[in-house]
Amino acid sequence: MAGLELLSDQGFRIDGRRPHELRRIQCRMGVFGQAEGSAYVEQGNTKVLAAVYGPHEIRGSRGKMQPDKVLINCQYSMATFSTGERKRRPRGDRKSQEMTKHLQQTFEAAVLTHLYPRSQIDIFVEVLQSDGGNYCASVNAATLAIIDAGIPMKDYVCACSASYIEDNPVVDINYLEESSGSAELIMAMLPKSEQIVLLQMNSRLHEDNLSKVMDMATQGCKDVHSILDTAVREHLTSSIALQDSSVT
Amino acid sequence: MAADFKTAQPVEYYRKFLEKDVRPDGRELGEIRPTMINIGSISTAEGSALVKLGNTTVLCGVKAEVTNPKSEEPDKGIIVPNVDLPALCSPRFRPGPPSEQAQVVSQFMVEVIQNSGCIDPKDLCIKAGKHVWVLYCDLVCLDYDGNVTDACVLALMAALKNVSLPKVTLNEESGNLETHMQEKWGLNILCQPVATTFAIFDDCIVFADPTDEEENLATGKVTIVTTEEDKICFVHKPGGSPLSDDKLQNCLQRSFIRAREARNLVETTLVNVDR
Repeated sequence: MAGLELLSDQGFRIDGRRPHELRRIQCRMGVFGQAEGSAYVEQGNTKVLAAVYGPHEIRGSRGKMQPDKVLINCQYSMATFSTGERKRRPRGDRKSQEMTKHLQQTFEAAVLTHLYPRSQIDIFVEVLQSDGGNYCASVNAATLAIIDAGIPMKDYVCACSASYIEDNPVVDINYLEESSGSAELIMAMLPKSEQIVLLQMNSRLHEDNLSKVMDMATQGCKDVHSILDTAVREHLTSSIALQDSSVT
Repeated sequence: MAADFKTAQPVEYYRKFLEKDVRPDGRELGEIRPTMINIGSISTAEGSALVKLGNTTVLCGVKAEVTNPKSEEPDKGIIVPNVDLPALCSPRFRPGPPSEQAQVVSQFMVEVIQNSGCIDPKDLCIKAGKHVWVLYCDLVCLDYDGNVTDACVLALMAALKNVSLPKVTLNEESGNLETHMQEKWGLNILCQPVATTFAIFDDCIVFADPTDEEENLATGKVTIVTTEEDKICFVHKPGGSPLSDDKLQNCLQRSFIRAREARNLVETTLVNVDR
């Protein structure tokens, strides 16, 4: 076999994980003062920052105003030093535009948009360091930021990627696995109701294997959900404790 | 009550505080917000540093590439600083092309690097006339709460000190570049410029390290960049209310002290970074 061995004989992946194992996720909420909501998520070596502004009046062209629901405006940008080779532009290239659109579509499906007609919510995502799974980390960070901003959603939106490497479904793939040429499936879902919000698969995969990979991604999303949920609860407990101590 | 007063008459609100020589956030006039530095946090960059100045947060990542030198300076490497103020960092920035302010700060960084002579561009030469290093120093503001210039200069210098490049040699026979990943070298930083910004309020009161709110109310601003041994390398006063000579002297003295503190902070942080 040429090049890298993505899955060893003992069943370990290139970074030492088992096929069903997520990378370590660390998250912090409320990292900034300026934004209504903000969050920082580290998923392995992928580091993402999200900020949410709004709901506020429509800015820019008023033509975008929707009379029955809120306008969700996203911007995905990657720091030029986030990748192995320097990026020329942090945003505005096609890949970032596509990601921006995906984020917008994901959150339009999850935020209770009818509650804020004629308004706008800005979701800004900045990737500081990239090691695969940028979309997933961005969605997870943006979810936390929206929760931090107190904007009602149907459920958490959790995203996770999966792939099929050497006859094994693997979850939460890193950059090396992403660029190995095997299939890449990204999924964003509302974990309580198991509704899929966004699903995308690149590259070739046999039909028989699709359900295995989907199951893997679904399980990944649920695992992400439990991590995010713990983080939110911890954040709230500590901020309430802080308020209490300042009162007494 | 106080909050209403602040919203209705922000200038009057500030005056009431400044009469007592204190600022609404509890700082004295010459006091600079607590500064934190984290060096080497971005592993995809050749060097990186995160600087927090109060709430203002700036992240600097340095990427290095090999390029052809400019024909008028065949043996000099190139350093390109670029400041990005994305919509993420403050509600007053809009998505779109780089704002005027971001470009002004970028140009300020260029001048600081040139005037201080902190790096000898000849150190970045691989083969004169053929190959030189170019260092792209990208500074992203993550949280904007005033005084980005100081935070940017600090982040840039800390990141440059953290840069580690592989040794690259030119194979004379084949004309190809050979990279020795095992042999890493750091940049030779000749001096470390530190910027200190002061805001002028009501044409007479001068205070250090303004927040976003204070910057908006200020009638003028002055930035002083100093290097080791209390040498001034750059003074920037973009219009606004005029400043008397002795006031400027006070600012200079304050900036020397600040620069020493900032340099110590960077040094102690660097000692704890293994790279």
